Amino acid sequence: MLRLSPLSSMKSLPLPPQVQIDAGGPRFWKSLEEWSQSPDFLPYLHREFPEYASAWDNGMSRRRFLKLMAASFALAGLTSCSRQPQEKIVPYVRRPEEIIPGKPLYYATTFSHRGYGKGVLVRTEMGRPTKIEGNPDHPASLGATDVFMQASILGLYDPDRSQTIRQGNDISTRDAFTQFVGARIEAHEQDQGAGLFLLTGKTTSPTLADQLQRLHERFPKLSWCSYEPAAPVRAQSILGHDAEPVYDLSKADIIVSLDADFLLDGPANLVLTKAFSKKRRDPAADFNRLYVIESAPSITGAKADVRWRRKPSEVITFTQQLAAAIAQGVAGDSPEIRQLANDLQQHRGRGVIIAGDYQPEVVHALAFQLNQTLGNIGSTVTYQEAQQTPIPTTSLPDFVTALKRRAASTLLIAGANPIYDLSPAWGFSNAMARVTHSIHLGLYDDETGSRCHWHVPGSHYLEAWGDILAIDGTPSLLQPVIEPLYPDAVSLVEVISLLVDLPPKKGYEIVREFWQRSLAADVPAAWELSLNKGVVAGLSPQALSPTPVVSVRDAPPEDLPNSSDLEILFRPDTAVDDGRFANNAWLQELPRPLTKLTWDNVAMISLATAKSMGVTTGDVVRLEAAGQSVDAPVWIQPGHADGCVSVTLGYGRSQLGEVANGVGFNAGLLRSSVAAWSQALTRAQATGARLELASTQHHFSMEGRDLIQIETLADYKTDPSQAQENQPNPPPEENLYPPFAYKDYAWAMSIDLNTCVGCNACVVACQSENNIPVVGKDQVFKGREMHWIRIDRYFEGEPEDPAMHFQPVTCMQCEDAPCEVVCPVGATVHTSEGLNDMVYNRCVGTRYCSNNCPYKVRRFNFLEYSDATHPTLALQKNPDVTVRSRGVMEKCTYCVQRIESARIDAQKEMRPIRDGEIVTACQAACPADAIVFGNINDPASRVSRLKALPRNYGLLADLNTHPRTTYLAKVTNPPTAI
Amino acid sequence: MAQLFPPSVDLYAKIVILGIGVFLVGGTYSFYLLNRSPYWTNVGVTLDQPVPFSHQHHAGELGIDCRFCHASVATSSYAGMPDTQTCMTCHSQIWKDAPMLEPVRRSYAENKPIKWNRVNEMPGYVYFNHSIHINKGVGCSSCHGRVDEMPITWKATDMTMGWCLSCHRHPEPNLRPLSAVYQMDWTTPKDPHTGQTWAVERNIQKDHLTDCSACHR
Repeated sequence: MLRLSPLSSMKSLPLPPQVQIDAGGPRFWKSLEEWSQSPDFLPYLHREFPEYASAWDNGMSRRRFLKLMAASFALAGLTSCSRQPQEKIVPYVRRPEEIIPGKPLYYATTFSHRGYGKGVLVRTEMGRPTKIEGNPDHPASLGATDVFMQASILGLYDPDRSQTIRQGNDISTRDAFTQFVGARIEAHEQDQGAGLFLLTGKTTSPTLADQLQRLHERFPKLSWCSYEPAAPVRAQSILGHDAEPVYDLSKADIIVSLDADFLLDGPANLVLTKAFSKKRRDPAADFNRLYVIESAPSITGAKADVRWRRKPSEVITFTQQLAAAIAQGVAGDSPEIRQLANDLQQHRGRGVIIAGDYQPEVVHALAFQLNQTLGNIGSTVTYQEAQQTPIPTTSLPDFVTALKRRAASTLLIAGANPIYDLSPAWGFSNAMARVTHSIHLGLYDDETGSRCHWHVPGSHYLEAWGDILAIDGTPSLLQPVIEPLYPDAVSLVEVISLLVDLPPKKGYEIVREFWQRSLAADVPAAWELSLNKGVVAGLSPQALSPTPVVSVRDAPPEDLPNSSDLEILFRPDTAVDDGRFANNAWLQELPRPLTKLTWDNVAMISLATAKSMGVTTGDVVRLEAAGQSVDAPVWIQPGHADGCVSVTLGYGRSQLGEVANGVGFNAGLLRSSVAAWSQALTRAQATGARLELASTQHHFSMEGRDLIQIETLADYKTDPSQAQENQPNPPPEENLYPPFAYKDYAWAMSIDLNTCVGCNACVVACQSENNIPVVGKDQVFKGREMHWIRIDRYFEGEPEDPAMHFQPVTCMQCEDAPCEVVCPVGATVHTSEGLNDMVYNRCVGTRYCSNNCPYKVRRFNFLEYSDATHPTLALQKNPDVTVRSRGVMEKCTYCVQRIESARIDAQKEMRPIRDGEIVTACQAACPADAIVFGNINDPASRVSRLKALPRNYGLLADLNTHPRTTYLAKVTNPPTAI
Repeated sequence: MAQLFPPSVDLYAKIVILGIGVFLVGGTYSFYLLNRSPYWTNVGVTLDQPVPFSHQHHAGELGIDCRFCHASVATSSYAGMPDTQTCMTCHSQIWKDAPMLEPVRRSYAENKPIKWNRVNEMPGYVYFNHSIHINKGVGCSSCHGRVDEMPITWKATDMTMGWCLSCHRHPEPNLRPLSAVYQMDWTTPKDPHTGQTWAVERNIQKDHLTDCSACHR
């Protein structure tokens, strides 16, 4: 019996146990503490919530507590005496024709990220958007979404968005701003725009390009700089200018990733994930093989069949050795190079080398050379000309120099945050102070905006007209799905229109007029069709230029750090990106794929590096690079390369909003330039301080039972049902519960561990659909995060270099659910279709159901987590799902609101529900199509066919719960001989 | 020692104990009755409205179909309250200067909606869908009573969960031919088999009607 110390008032919560690597632990482990089975760790694991999480840490004595409870119990009986307050019905004055209250409408628009677009369908209820889905007709989305697209809807309703025009310290008006701009126009007509400076993010918008050309015609001497903090590196040496590789993974049998997190990062992530997953779905058919070399673990590395961890300079030398081995046919000294070169040669024309977006130019040039030599160009990869800018641009260093020279009398900053992105060494703050008139256009009055004379609130993409190109050149339109929440908000095209049009035009007119000229005249109703589909109709995607044969000299990069130096590498964060989403609470609380961290960024290091530095997880170290220093907590990540530290950008915001301010540290301070992704680390010194890090990797643990079934492709081919046979105890035949015949529908789900990449899109989609609250770092620390679907990440093997596996876990909707029999008030009951219903209004908060659940999928509202103070956040809520108050249990419902909606539609039409008609939120978001929902009473349904596969197994099936959600075992494809 | 209490206190003690018992039982029974009374359920209680709209006149005397105003009753979960423009389609010509209709004209002119007091109200955790009921043959008057005889609208049935379940468990008596859904004076046929036939014909999933998630999400 576990001896727990008595409840007492807690001043501080226990820190995660220190790591002691003693002996090998379980086969699959979620953290180093679990692997080492250290004595501190085991009690931590046995409780569903970390010790004292369910304690009320308040200095109240038990006696007083009981007195108060007795009194409130007596009074509670009387509260039911109050009648419902009188409700009002407020209809329209003039109902808009297409809105039927109670029926959602879907509109197509485009989400833009780092300058490229991904199409979305937005569900709107009574004129306000509530959910984002992918657009199946858009080539960059193909019906799927990533975490940024799903979370973007919360950004629309962010209470911290700027709402008014500000001049200096005063609130100003649209008229005053227009007058001011008028004065600036007059000034710049004198100097032909020599003092007009424009700083934006990357943009591929055709309308904006057209407007910039007109602006350039009017003010020929204007300076325009566009930069992205997370711009990918491209090799200038190929084709003489930036060449954009476009991959076709459906043709690739061997994929080599040179530190390319192509499954998660970049404008083509959804397309590549879909194509990659297609070739991993069926082990009996074509199955690809993924080699990854990387420094910091990524989800692409987690999916790899062979993974090598190397620090950034070693990645470059590895690539050079591989290029030499392939080009000259030499064996190469290392067995890895030999093996990889061999495999690539055997699959000439069916392999692909993908160079990471954050690798230096030399790696991109070498990757091109390799692809060329292996004959991959034209089949698995084509290189197309990168988008040309519409008017000449200035480089960022030149731009800053010009500002410092007092060359600018008007500076307009839109979609860029240089004060935050650039390290203080650039002196941008100084440079800005020398500008006579500065204007900032942005969603938030952030670090840069607050230093500008004028701040104009920017409109969110869901409230603005515009257009943008996808990574493959397909243009698509942006249409607003709601009136701008704040009347003063404008978009960049509207601000430019103030400069070039008289009278200035609104977004709709600007975009419409541009496309009236550009749309193919022979496509009937082309404008309406483009808006409806989300892709511009009648325009073929940008034609690909033929790839000439170019021989590339591989020049060594300029400053390759000494091999013994500690290196630092920067990456955009997997949830807050380059910082633009830092105020998005869903993203801040999203457990990162590999570390399962929330609400913080860390300096990730390997176990060996930690030992040599003498630090452990949570110790704060001072990192020094490029003349700047920053304090960062350390995180020991199994699988990280030795000799390097990886940090993520996007944190350490100071002026963004309540959610972002003060969270994490700004790693961007250490970057020598916005193009620097790895550099030498001058110093890393432990400061002696510690920081508690809220990671969810231990939460809701299912205690070391063999939950992941993995087999190699070779083993699968000899014995396909190995996964089922590997189950520890086969389910017993006897059952205490009487059998039940599910007559009409029997809902079930199948999750394919083979195709799931762990991208987290399903987690945010579920949060968005089901009104799941955000709880904050303190509560996450106690294990109280509320995500209904969690992605468990398991390591397998040695702690220095383990394999990594993902397993999404939702409520299993067990046919013999342990939670149903223990509820004293009947708040969780079984439906005639197999769903485990959660009835919020009956729940009294006993939490016995959660106690009894072996999968630990139930979430309890310990406090009033749902937000009642910010009126805009109420607009995002899905009206078909209850917003839960405190004291109520909740869990995945298989999106029962979607099931009911589909059933009602089918019943009205007197037909059965078709397979594929009900798509749960997680299923819709998944780019890998890993989640399939359907009716197992229909043997032809997709889910029935998946469950009939030999790889199908249920989680903890020996407990005889008969889970309706089952998994398909993961199959890996390591090469046979190394 | 002398007795503190004289023997007569025996009687008083018994009366008091009995009284407490009666009080508890009676009190509980009173609360039970109160919960089923119009004080709680609002059955038959007319509510003041910004405009004293008479269903008796419009639906009864004039014979306007329910759907003219409650337009989405067969397509959406929400039956739909008429917008001011619907009222003005007639009242811009008929009774266009009547003082009683002043709030309607003002709402239309100022573009401010009319705030009606809700008569048939469900708690927020009930997700009721009108369209499925209409499409399966549950008539308006089955739940809302003789609306065509209400000069001011009141709630005709208590609409408690038990009342809903009484039909959900046994829908047959409350079904009608689809053409009679909007007919106010329709009565249940004597023969129970008619209802049973309709339930089967219309593919009513009776098992699911008593699942919690049919109404609570």
